Amino acid sequence: GGLKSLEVFVKTVNTGRADFTQVVTAPAKAGQAPRVKTSSGTFEFSRPNRFKFVYKKPFEQNIVADGQTLWLYDVDLNQVTARQQSKVLGSTPAALIAAAPDLRALQADFTLADAPDKDGLQWAAATPKSKDGQLQSVRVGFRAGEQAAELAALEILDSFGQRSVLSFSRFEVNPALPGNSFQFKPPAGADVIRQ
Amino acid sequence: CAVPTRVSTTNQSERSIWRGRLAVRVESDQAQSQPQAFAAGFELTGNAQAGELTLYTPVGTTAAALSWSAQTALMRTNGDIRSFASLDALIQQAVGAEIPVAALFAWLAGDNMSVAGWSADLSQLANGRVTARRTEPAPVTELRLVLEK
Repeated sequence: GGLKSLEVFVKTVNTGRADFTQVVTAPAKAGQAPRVKTSSGTFEFSRPNRFKFVYKKPFEQNIVADGQTLWLYDVDLNQVTARQQSKVLGSTPAALIAAAPDLRALQADFTLADAPDKDGLQWAAATPKSKDGQLQSVRVGFRAGEQAAELAALEILDSFGQRSVLSFSRFEVNPALPGNSFQFKPPAGADVIRQ
Repeated sequence: CAVPTRVSTTNQSERSIWRGRLAVRVESDQAQSQPQAFAAGFELTGNAQAGELTLYTPVGTTAAALSWSAQTALMRTNGDIRSFASLDALIQQAVGAEIPVAALFAWLAGDNMSVAGWSADLSQLANGRVTARRTEPAPVTELRLVLEK
């Protein structure tokens, strides 16, 4: 099932690169159709603690975990916020696929279980253990591949009922990533705020 | 100067809705300490008397849902609801600075309403950008908004 695929994935896929499309569906409000926001970009990671989301459309935003610091750069707002990775990374959904060295490390922050197959994917369910309660549930979806299952989707349901689904495509397993792939230098003139 | 065209995504008679991202920066008055900053995606509806402001994290989860009316000023986060004495107190808690909400609605609608200590730049409103700065009282506060196209 999905949990086995997650275990194999965490053990065997040390680096990865993929395109992603993210569809965020806001909880339907009375009398309004549920609002959907779509964004897309590229995703790279290198276990155990570096990853990068480069959002390209509809606006440019970079989320880079360089091993120590989690950088958030909004190009239009010209603002960079920097947070200590140790403080924020544990229970973020990206940690599920990119950060944990093995399943046991994941279980420090998530309760893991198999979830029923859906949309032609096998799913693993991860319920955050942290009490901040921002996330209701996170699920990781795998598509049966020739050898090992392939990461296909990450689904995040927050405590307000907002659903965010990241679908991955053109997934490269264990690519050689240049040394500076996860370096982030705030651009000149940008507001840099450390929190 | 020419009044910029209105950019709100629905016409005025319906409840106008503004969506985009905002950044707030508060200069610290002590020399060395860090400026305070806040950045989030947002959805703003209604007006200063009755409205809602929902704040989102960069990865698309909901950070907080604010709602206010003549009687209430509420913030919902992660399953608990906190009540505030005023809209100003609610906004201060949510974004770390006292943003003049009535003026914000006016600025977004292209009306450069004046507010003591604040000056707003609506020259880029047609490109979906609004910037406002409070020079007094200290600390200097800057609000930047980018509206979704």
